[in-house]
Amino acid sequence: MNATLRHDDDSALDEILERRAERARATTDAGEAEATLPVAEFTLGKDRYAIPLSALRAVLPLKVVTPVPRSPVHVIGILRYQGQFLTAVSLMTLLGVKGWRQDCAVLLIVELEGGRRMAIDCEHIPRIEALPQRTVDQARARGSGPVHDVVTARLETVGLIDMSQLLARGAGRSHG
Amino acid sequence: MDDAALESLVGTFSREAEELGARVTRALLELEKPEGSDAAFGAAYADLRRGLHSLKGSSATVGMAELSALAHQMEELLAARPRTRPLTRPVVDALLSALDTGLQWLRARADRRADLPDLETACAALRAASTEAGAEGARAEGPAAPNAVPDAATDAAPIDAPIDAPADGWWVDAAQVASLTGDVERLRELALRLEEQSREVARRLEVTPRGPAGEPASEVRGGLLGTRLGLSRDASEAAELVDSMEECLKAICTLPFRTVIEPLHRTVRDLARRLGKEAKLSAVGAEAALDRRLLDRLRAPLVQMVRNAVDHGIEAPAARERAGKHREGIIAIRVEQVGNEVFIEVSDDGAGLDEERIRSAAVSRGVVSAEEAARLDDRQLGALIFRPGFTTRATATGVSGRGIGLDVVSEAVRTLHGRVEAHGVRGHGTRIVLTVPAELGSSALMVVGVGDQVFGLPMYALRRVLPAHASRIRGGRSRLQLEHEGGLLPLEDLGGLLGIRQPLSPGEGQPILVIGAEGREVALAVDTTLGDRSPVVRPLPEEVRHLESYLGAATLSRGEPILVLRPSWLVASRSEEAASARRVLVVDDSLTARAVHRAVLESAGYTAHGAASAQQALEHLRNGTYEAIVCDVDLGEGMDGIALTALARARPELAGVPVVLVSSHDQEADRRRGQEAGADGFLSKKDCAAGMLLSEIGHAVARRRGKA
Repeated sequence: MNATLRHDDDSALDEILERRAERARATTDAGEAEATLPVAEFTLGKDRYAIPLSALRAVLPLKVVTPVPRSPVHVIGILRYQGQFLTAVSLMTLLGVKGWRQDCAVLLIVELEGGRRMAIDCEHIPRIEALPQRTVDQARARGSGPVHDVVTARLETVGLIDMSQLLARGAGRSHG
Repeated sequence: MDDAALESLVGTFSREAEELGARVTRALLELEKPEGSDAAFGAAYADLRRGLHSLKGSSATVGMAELSALAHQMEELLAARPRTRPLTRPVVDALLSALDTGLQWLRARADRRADLPDLETACAALRAASTEAGAEGARAEGPAAPNAVPDAATDAAPIDAPIDAPADGWWVDAAQVASLTGDVERLRELALRLEEQSREVARRLEVTPRGPAGEPASEVRGGLLGTRLGLSRDASEAAELVDSMEECLKAICTLPFRTVIEPLHRTVRDLARRLGKEAKLSAVGAEAALDRRLLDRLRAPLVQMVRNAVDHGIEAPAARERAGKHREGIIAIRVEQVGNEVFIEVSDDGAGLDEERIRSAAVSRGVVSAEEAARLDDRQLGALIFRPGFTTRATATGVSGRGIGLDVVSEAVRTLHGRVEAHGVRGHGTRIVLTVPAELGSSALMVVGVGDQVFGLPMYALRRVLPAHASRIRGGRSRLQLEHEGGLLPLEDLGGLLGIRQPLSPGEGQPILVIGAEGREVALAVDTTLGDRSPVVRPLPEEVRHLESYLGAATLSRGEPILVLRPSWLVASRSEEAASARRVLVVDDSLTARAVHRAVLESAGYTAHGAASAQQALEHLRNGTYEAIVCDVDLGEGMDGIALTALARARPELAGVPVVLVSSHDQEADRRRGQEAGADGFLSKKDCAAGMLLSEIGHAVARRRGKA
């Protein structure tokens, strides 16, 4: 320890300690900012969407789906997955036909709250990305709809989908 | 044994005690019937003694001396009784009451609750009943009592004989069984994949050239042959394993329906006595084995229906005699599983539904207006009694009048995706029928083809398959009838019924299926019959389970799901469906693209029919009329959308039908080719998403009409 500094310049010591404290605070803030939500991100037309990675169970090629005549318009059909019959739904139809660039080629098997599984269509195999948790929370706080616009670190907008809400809206339309 | 070990046995013993309680109750109710035979009494006494003895012994084993003492006192009450006579009501009451107290004590003890019922008081009541019964028995039975000795039937069965199920079984967690069921399904998929791979190898073998021995081609062929054989053997073994495991699962997952019905005998007895009525329960089909989960969910609704029958249906004995009925009312439960549907009928021979009271109660409770009430038919009136809060009672009693009861039934059935109906004739009883899907079980199906889809039709509903002959078909295009066995049956096109295409008049020789359900028959035209299969039929996933048209889905050998049609929906008399006359044919090999187009078109009031290929599109165009065709340029294999457009333009009958081409790639070359082929419009899918499809169709239709 520098005895001269301790004895001769207490204010300088205070300044050093304050700077250290600032650095420590900054480190903590940075740590908080790094909290992220892992998502599976994909495009639909020109728009980018994401679902929480924790909900994604599998990605399958879009085939062996049996159409269900007389079903609601957002239902593509049913398929078998791991011994269960699942419903495949058209995300584009549920989202109100926003953007259409190419026909969907894959199905994402997603697990909703309560363990219920279903499949949604998608143009391609999604990318694994991380959305800043802070902006996710802000987006969720802004609105209560099924799609929350989250601004990424690169200032791009990604629609984070709440599948349960989106499906409930689709079911509401088709039944009511 | 230490305390902790004893405690761990309490849970297991509680379940065993509940079963013993049910057994003792069943025997007591049997012994209360005055009309029983000596042999029946002997068997019931033996069962009762064994049940009580097991209860006494097992409770002592787990350190429950108080319960053991109660069971002993119950045995004491029976000790001096002759084995060939019924028990008197006071004795049965005393024993049932003691049993109830004992089981309540056990449940409280298992839940570690402090409010344990007083078993010593229950023992004292039994001792008092024993004294009274002894005196009464001596008076009533006279000289027979001293000579009453245990009969052969009773003595033949040793008192320590093991009880039926619990002794040679064990308890399995429901979640583990559900997980095992899922695993079996996954194994089935694995077997199907192996089969498919074996077929794929066989296809490759066919195109692999034969060559001289030692040549690479020959070695490849040899290798492929070996792989195919191996895959085929593994697939067969896996399929056998699945079948065997499924049989075992069925045994684990099902229980006879009587396990639900048995406690209801006591419900009927106790409630009837409380209300000053006489009633008994009879059951038909109680041995039918049903899924335990289904049975669990049916328990509460059945209790409610039976209570309702006793309270609202069965009249007081004097009233019944005045009406020329036996003073004791009958409540009958009939259970039947047909294919993958379970029918449960609860009927009584009581007062029936009082239509006027239902009408006035519905009006006074604001459920319907007086005018609406006057227009209600029998079926609609029957449906009213399942409404929440609906009751015909002016005031609530301890048993009913709160309007909470049949709505419980209706809600439970709705949760099970079933149906409930009530029928009744005033003075002649009421009949309530529940129809619920069975969770387990394979079902014989006739597989039929319509367009590019196949459907399963339960064989139990299939009466006949016959080829169509124009001479036997009557009527115009919208309403056809088939001459069949001297009568006329409505003739429907399955594709039209399902909304896949416009209803077709069957061509010569086309298969027609005669379907029967709910007392009605209909003739159904399909494109092809593909033989019968017996797959496991499961309920549809939640999002489409509300569709009345289907019983469920099954898996065919290649792993693809097949929809199983509901016969009652097929035969339902339906007014002409309000399908729009503005029909558009959507031709796209992408399922999702067809779904998106359909959503847009239906939002504008069009009816959309889909075709996955040019070939299918031509089939639709041959048989139906369309206002417009929306066609993808790239249709995968075979003819593309531009070639299809050219073909359509070459047909005079399609001259008035515009074609709007759609493409994922907005390429000028495609636009030009489309125009040259005679397309009326060209849109990129991006344009469709921007909402231009409807306006493009509108303009194209107007232009065509203008030209015409």
